[in-house]
Amino acid sequence: METTFDLPANIAFGVIAVAIIVAAIRVVTTRNIVHAALWLVVVLGGVGAIYILLQAEFVAVVQYLVYIGAIVVLFLFGIMLTRAPLGEMLDLTNRTMRVGAIITAVILVTIMVFSVVDSFRDEEVDFIAYSGDVAAAQTFADLSAEEQETVLDEVAAIGAEGTDLGPVGRTETVSDSIFRDYLIPFEVISALLLAALIGAIVIARRD
Amino acid sequence: MTVLSVLAQLSGPPFESLPIDWHALAPEVVLLSVAVLITLVDSIGLERARPLMPGLAGLGLLGALIPVITLAVEGSDRVLFGGAYVVDDLSLLLKAVFLLSGYVIVLLSTNYIAEGDYWEGEYYNLLLFSLLGMVVMASARDLITIFVALELLSIPAYMLAAWRKGDRRSNEAGMKYLLMGVFASAVMLYGMSLVYGVTGTTLLEPIGLIFAEVGTASVITLGVIFVIIGFSFKVSAVPFHTWAPDTYEGAPTPVAAFLAVASKIAGFVALISLIYFGFLGQSDLIEPLLFILATLSMFVGNLIALRQTNIIRMLAYSGVAQAGFMLAPFAVAASDPETSLKAVVTYLVIYAAMNLGAFAVVIALARKTRSGEISSFGGAFQYAPALTVAMSVFLFSLAGIPPLGGWFAKFSVFAAVVNAGTTAGYVMAVIVAVNSVIALYYYAQVAKTMWMDPVPDGDMTPVGVPPSLGWAIVLTAALTLLFGVLPGLLGDVTDSFDLGHLELLAFPG
Repeated sequence: METTFDLPANIAFGVIAVAIIVAAIRVVTTRNIVHAALWLVVVLGGVGAIYILLQAEFVAVVQYLVYIGAIVVLFLFGIMLTRAPLGEMLDLTNRTMRVGAIITAVILVTIMVFSVVDSFRDEEVDFIAYSGDVAAAQTFADLSAEEQETVLDEVAAIGAEGTDLGPVGRTETVSDSIFRDYLIPFEVISALLLAALIGAIVIARRD
Repeated sequence: MTVLSVLAQLSGPPFESLPIDWHALAPEVVLLSVAVLITLVDSIGLERARPLMPGLAGLGLLGALIPVITLAVEGSDRVLFGGAYVVDDLSLLLKAVFLLSGYVIVLLSTNYIAEGDYWEGEYYNLLLFSLLGMVVMASARDLITIFVALELLSIPAYMLAAWRKGDRRSNEAGMKYLLMGVFASAVMLYGMSLVYGVTGTTLLEPIGLIFAEVGTASVITLGVIFVIIGFSFKVSAVPFHTWAPDTYEGAPTPVAAFLAVASKIAGFVALISLIYFGFLGQSDLIEPLLFILATLSMFVGNLIALRQTNIIRMLAYSGVAQAGFMLAPFAVAASDPETSLKAVVTYLVIYAAMNLGAFAVVIALARKTRSGEISSFGGAFQYAPALTVAMSVFLFSLAGIPPLGGWFAKFSVFAAVVNAGTTAGYVMAVIVAVNSVIALYYYAQVAKTMWMDPVPDGDMTPVGVPPSLGWAIVLTAALTLLFGVLPGLLGDVTDSFDLGHLELLAFPG
């Protein structure tokens, strides 16, 4: 188990990040709404790949199943069923909107990049910090390399028991925390889905 | 060896669930059960069940109030799920406000929804689900729980705003509310992810301790600003208020009342949890940010409200200004955390009673005038004296005239900002005072139209007020008067809040 990003992971991250950015720009600039949905597949797929780099396999699989498997397909069905024009739409964006969008995007990106870089500097992703125990992460960072190795072995051994130090991305840890610590949000989401379903039927049906 | 035991061995030690305090969760469980029951009765009984719906929903809301009362009588604070869900005096008071407002909204809806051609079972179902989200929000002390509760309370509300399906303005109302709401959710979620990225936890308590410890950092600043902006949409604070007037005007009027009262209070409850339990350590950021939001909301809301001719739009802009009054104590959140928190909660409770009352009278009068124009209410005193008196009570309470409830609400806010002893606090006190005067003008203008002006079409037939609507007006008017005459009642409740942690977050070390 790696504690920080190594060189191959860094290169992979760079490639994926560029692909996501290019695709994301295409989503909002293409004049064909079906193409926009397909570019979105690339964005969502890239995000899923980053989850895998972060060793969160479960989240990655869910990302692929739900976002690409369900939501984008739903978009395409929605476009078809509402008989939206499938070809190019020239009036989708106009010049003033584009200028506004570019200015907003540049300002927002500058602020976000500045704040992230300013706060984290050259700190590296420390997977143990994701356990939610900041003090433990700090103690861990203060250890020597060999000691860290021993701790990680121990963590890997006891990780299956769902202790606080277990890696968060693992399916078992995810399921345990859903039904233990996050039981209320989980149940609330089921109520939310029922409400959304009932409401959507009322709004969408012809009467 | 059975299959199960093999599986159990493969998957390591068995899963142990946390013990669950069912008493603490009883209000939510009752509410959820009633919402599901309504769906079942509606799908089995079809048309025959329609008249039962408002009664079921109303009884369900009062039923959920019973465990709230037993929990309050029992009195001990209950902390569930490692601090993610807290049931204390503060959250119980807010739950009671949500459930009672929900009950009044059901009373307002009873005739409105039954007489129009609406989907009735589904309407009350979505209303209860939305209220469930608010009740959860009152206890949520965790970013994920707050976000999920926000979505549960918002998504049914988007659909309720578009409930008059045949009317284009209602469609526009729902669509505008949905787009603005989703955008706000996205901004807020990004902020939450930044906060989580810095602290490594979603629980507000550790976030609060870390924020108090580390001081300022640009990622924290960005995260906190995004989260607060997200909720500014919900409470319709300027400059994030543009959806409110159009949505209130297009939505069915009881839904407008629901958005103006319950939904707005839910946004404030989330702000209270986030700021007083999480972000208080970032006082250099929180106080100026909310100072600006509060000042803009008061001035813009009041000045635009002056020029409205439609009563619903006027109430919408007055709601924006009222949000400003409620945001004012946040501007001294870190200087005097305890007093300012109590002032906000006091204002929320009284605002619920008086604003619901104003909407109730508008719904009652509109049954006769069939119009939302303020001029159409001219001379209402001649054919509906009781409604006119009630409306005057609500309007002057909103303006803050003693001895009505709104007076005590404004006084609490004023006392809180002065009490803090900071320059910003004194400036805020002046702004609050100036805006109270501006607001009095347009509230009094409506009252004057109703008392003095001639009846526009000369039609003097009395207004038939259905019993449920009448009961709603009596209830809200009684509460508005009660809070004004006996402010100690509410003061006793807010004094019982356990706020020991505030000192720790606001003044670390």
